Amino acid sequence: MSEGEIVDARGLGCPQPVILAKRALEREASVLVIVDNAIARENVRRLGVSSGCDVQTADPGDGTFRIRLTKRPGADLSRAEADLTSCGSEAAASGPFVVVLSSDRMGRGDDELGGLLVRAFLHVLGEQERKPDAIIFYNGGVRLAVKDSPALEDLEALAAAGVEMLVCGTCTNYFNLTADVAVGTISNMYDIAALMSRAGRLVQP
Amino acid sequence: MTPEESYGVLLFQSVSYAIKAEKILLAAGLPHKLIPVPRHISSDCGVCLRFRSELRERILAALDGQVEIDAVHPLK
Repeated sequence: MSEGEIVDARGLGCPQPVILAKRALEREASVLVIVDNAIARENVRRLGVSSGCDVQTADPGDGTFRIRLTKRPGADLSRAEADLTSCGSEAAASGPFVVVLSSDRMGRGDDELGGLLVRAFLHVLGEQERKPDAIIFYNGGVRLAVKDSPALEDLEALAAAGVEMLVCGTCTNYFNLTADVAVGTISNMYDIAALMSRAGRLVQP
Repeated sequence: MTPEESYGVLLFQSVSYAIKAEKILLAAGLPHKLIPVPRHISSDCGVCLRFRSELRERILAALDGQVEIDAVHPLK
């Protein structure tokens, strides 16, 4: 398959990368878009998904992101129009979208109900088009990330979709669960506090 | 889990029945998962129990007489 057109959108502000990618897709079956920030990557990815393209993203580790968009049969760029207008709010929230699980319950009132709710939350989170960039587990939340956790299947699916997972090592040590961690990376307060500090959006169910 | 796998869901009158059903099926070793009721199916309770279609009869038998089941739906 040919490389198709390369769109170099580094240094461009929202919504330019999306507009350029869309124009290129109108001409070509496959387009490689290069951007230099996670918001642009996410916006270009959404352009691809909403218009019916195959989307492959790569992070070469040099501060750029590469997104390969390949039109599938039936791809329809007109369906992606709405995304072009969504810049304002996205640009305001720069920084990763982070979900914090500080407990293996959702809400207060009844623990059994809270356990059921957090599992339902994680199941539906996996169905969202916009998934979090990272999930942080601390205190009782680490119980969700260990083997035999009823949420493990959904967490593994999120991890496979590219969601980074940080599990508080102090907490797994305290609960004597360090050997049982089954998803994500055992982490520390330096990384957890740094990620929470630079988050564009922090969601705590 | 493969995408082709076929599932059904059990709906309940109340969340307590869903939780009770889960306990019974865990004890019986029957695989299942509590999930939010899909939007296209309406239910008062909000959670339902998803199961692989081939386990339908065994799951219904395990819950028989212990949990009030509202409805059984195939999941598409």
